[in-house]
Amino acid sequence: MKNKQFDDFKDTVFALAKKNNVEVQISYSQNRNFQLRYQNGDMDQYTDAGKFRINVLVLKDGKLGASYTETFDNPEKVFLDACENISIVDTEDVEYFYDGSGEYLKLEPYDGAFENLPVRDRIGYVETAHKEVRKDERILMDMAVYGDEMNERRIANTLGLDVSFVDGGGFMYAMAVAKDSSPRSGTEFTLGKRPEDIDAAYVGKKAREESIALIGSQSVKSGKYRIILRNDVFSDMLGMLVSMISAENAQKNLSPLKGKLGEQIGSNIFTVKDLPYHPMSISNAPFDTQGVQTCEKAIIEKGVFKTFLHNLKTAKKDGVKPTGNAAGNGIAPINLYVEPGNKSFEELLSTLGDGILIIQVDGMHAGANPISGNFSLGAKGFKVENGKIVRGVEEITISGNFLEMMKNMEEVGSDLRAFVGFGGCIVPSIIVNEIDIAGTM
Amino acid sequence: MFEKRVKLGYGSYNELSCRYAKYIEKVKKAFQRGDIVLDKFSKGVAERILGTVLKYGGDFAELFVEDRYSTNISLKNGSVETAQTGRMFGVGIRGFLGDKAIYAYTNDLSEENMLAVARRVGEALGEVKLGDLNLDLRKKELNNRHIIIFNPKDVQKETKVRYMKNAYEAARSYSPVIAQVVVNYWDYDQNVLIANTEGVYVTDERVRTRLMINAVAMKDGQMESGFYGPGAAMGPEFLERMDLEQAGVRAARIAVRMVDAQPAPAGRMTVVISNEFGGVIFHEAVGHALEASSVARGMSVFAGKLGQQVGAECVSAVDDGTIPNAWGSANVDDEGTPTQRNLLIEKGVLKGYMIDKLGSRRMNMPPTGSGRRQDYTYAPTSRMSNTFILPGEYHPEEVIASVDYGLYAKTMGGGSVNPATGEFNFAVNEGYLIENGKVTRPVKGATLIGKGYEIVQKIEMVGNDVARGQGMCGSYSGSIPADVGEPTIKVREILVGGRNQ
Repeated sequence: MKNKQFDDFKDTVFALAKKNNVEVQISYSQNRNFQLRYQNGDMDQYTDAGKFRINVLVLKDGKLGASYTETFDNPEKVFLDACENISIVDTEDVEYFYDGSGEYLKLEPYDGAFENLPVRDRIGYVETAHKEVRKDERILMDMAVYGDEMNERRIANTLGLDVSFVDGGGFMYAMAVAKDSSPRSGTEFTLGKRPEDIDAAYVGKKAREESIALIGSQSVKSGKYRIILRNDVFSDMLGMLVSMISAENAQKNLSPLKGKLGEQIGSNIFTVKDLPYHPMSISNAPFDTQGVQTCEKAIIEKGVFKTFLHNLKTAKKDGVKPTGNAAGNGIAPINLYVEPGNKSFEELLSTLGDGILIIQVDGMHAGANPISGNFSLGAKGFKVENGKIVRGVEEITISGNFLEMMKNMEEVGSDLRAFVGFGGCIVPSIIVNEIDIAGTM
Repeated sequence: MFEKRVKLGYGSYNELSCRYAKYIEKVKKAFQRGDIVLDKFSKGVAERILGTVLKYGGDFAELFVEDRYSTNISLKNGSVETAQTGRMFGVGIRGFLGDKAIYAYTNDLSEENMLAVARRVGEALGEVKLGDLNLDLRKKELNNRHIIIFNPKDVQKETKVRYMKNAYEAARSYSPVIAQVVVNYWDYDQNVLIANTEGVYVTDERVRTRLMINAVAMKDGQMESGFYGPGAAMGPEFLERMDLEQAGVRAARIAVRMVDAQPAPAGRMTVVISNEFGGVIFHEAVGHALEASSVARGMSVFAGKLGQQVGAECVSAVDDGTIPNAWGSANVDDEGTPTQRNLLIEKGVLKGYMIDKLGSRRMNMPPTGSGRRQDYTYAPTSRMSNTFILPGEYHPEEVIASVDYGLYAKTMGGGSVNPATGEFNFAVNEGYLIENGKVTRPVKGATLIGKGYEIVQKIEMVGNDVARGQGMCGSYSGSIPADVGEPTIKVREILVGGRNQ
């Protein structure tokens, strides 16, 4: 971290704040990023890079103005821009800064383990995955991606807050496409904080096996089905819940969970928590983007809605304590965690008996509406009979309402897995006892 | 992947440039200012950076310098809640060796650091080393096709807020069931300098302005939303010329119609897709699979099919980055290649791909001005600009009248595709049933899915009402402004993912 340059920038801006009788908060983030992408065994993209950004927030009479820059030049201009932006803010909402009082969780910062790997080793990951995918002659195409990242954050303000943290880790992704009447794609990924967490051969093998297993896929008849949402699919769909549990969205009439605190909104086997730390996550954090302490809490406990997620502003408005979930201009969990049940994935399959295992949904950004909870998504998976996978399923959509789906949850598996998206997400697979499927049969 | 919608209504571009001829001087000044911002990069520095890459490895080097100033304002419930401005400033350095590419970026702009980054790029390419390179960069003067009247910096923020509030009021007062309206405003002024070892040394300025209106209707515990997000490669004059009330009404109308709608039926049926943003179907079903990033390595269902009949005869489509002031246009692409109008499909026959420099090496075909990137933190790759189906012969009314039973997809949401398998999906944000040739009642929650190479063969009628709509396209090189477009079309059969009755 460029501490000296940042300190100079900060001191200049803090002095300006004092002179102008305003409060100011400066966040500094520095990112290192490496990424490799191979298509069909040939290098397609190689990126090795770094950058930093400084965000300046000026607070005056409860109103915020924001400005950012990517050069240490001219802190005065950045400060004045932020001040000028306050002049057009006319909301009644009152904004706050946090003074950094109280204890922070002692989390082990990321040690840059991937950063220190020789490039040869990182190329080794994608080559291993590529070779593993290609072990079946029915594979037509493949792609393998490896990446690692390191993010350093520091937040300081004129009320005394000054906190910093480093997080990061590595990830790997593979896609296999198998030959069939229509090409069949299978994917797999993994992530971790240490190089030994990344098993490239496993990722390649799983991608290959999935694409091969999908050969001969057909659609199904339209109708209502019992389904398993595999953990990766469930984590995608939880994006809707993340929007719904934002106190900001509730206060602005943009959440269907508004006014439902304390109500039974889901099946009693459904418990969701927000965790500042989980050993499987690569996005743990001791503080949120306002510098407030993160904390463990139940959001939904046995189906009962316990709390919205708050930043400083929404908490004050609702008369509750901030929950440490500020995320830039929005609100998000640190690690969204769904409490696992007892059944392994295989046991979920036998519990399902007859139904469909969903292994991919497409179009979450367009076909899912977190304001109404309605979704209609392209999907694929496997047909399950007597607890056994019998064939691939293509060209179907799954439709429903997320609020109804929470009530229709029948089983929660024990197969926890970590994902990234809106912060971290650690979830198992689930059985939903009724969902609408459209198919072409 | 493509995200959200809509309309243009630019009128005549020539008329625009004439009427505002007196501003041209001002425009020229804006360009000079652009050069001043980038003046840390004398030709000497650029030559030393490019030379350093080649000294250590590779047979081609490229420098991309970006200085961008953006404004984001968010209005909820009629009040401005957040106002942010900011400056992005950094460089991307890329080297090729044959068809291998290495990319690095940094925003530590000391010459020492940039030369170190250039050296790392060269070393990563290794192997081939050229001797001393005599680079002679000559600045190319561009004939600017996209006249900007007001630089966003020169327009008061209060004026921008007034546009937002006009749209807000119109949406809010459209109906008592409107429960919330969120309006976001976004503009930026991006100045780039692009230099490479083939002698390219060029600057370009890209100004964009966009308004995004999201209206929410609430009735009997049901909530539905409607969206409209017009944008252009123009300064805030774009909003001065636009009918802001109509824009607000359009978002509100979708929300109000959908809150009363029944779930869409499920199953295969005929679908009429309305013009402008409906073009997202071509963007997803075909466009992405015609990008060199998929085609060059054989990762596309359309690889190796040039000259073949891939679609119905009524389908012709282009990608055109030259359209004056259009959302996805530029004078040069992000590799310094002049943009052009690329014919993709003519009467159903595959005529061309969208090709960047790396794709060009891999495919042994010339680049098409399609190298684009979100910003300097992404290596450029082949991308769409303004992509649309060309007009056919039918009036839209005729297209609808020809359907006994089907879905009328009036307003589309975003979509996505896997170019390797052709599987795509996209959402219908405003849909109606067609019964006996007439639009009968609103339906919600329809998603359309299929395989691109099949759907393009099933287009049966193409209307004469072509129009384009704006959105953000996401892919390998990040999220970029792109227009989609089409006239009203009829697809014989497509799977509609609704609810079972």
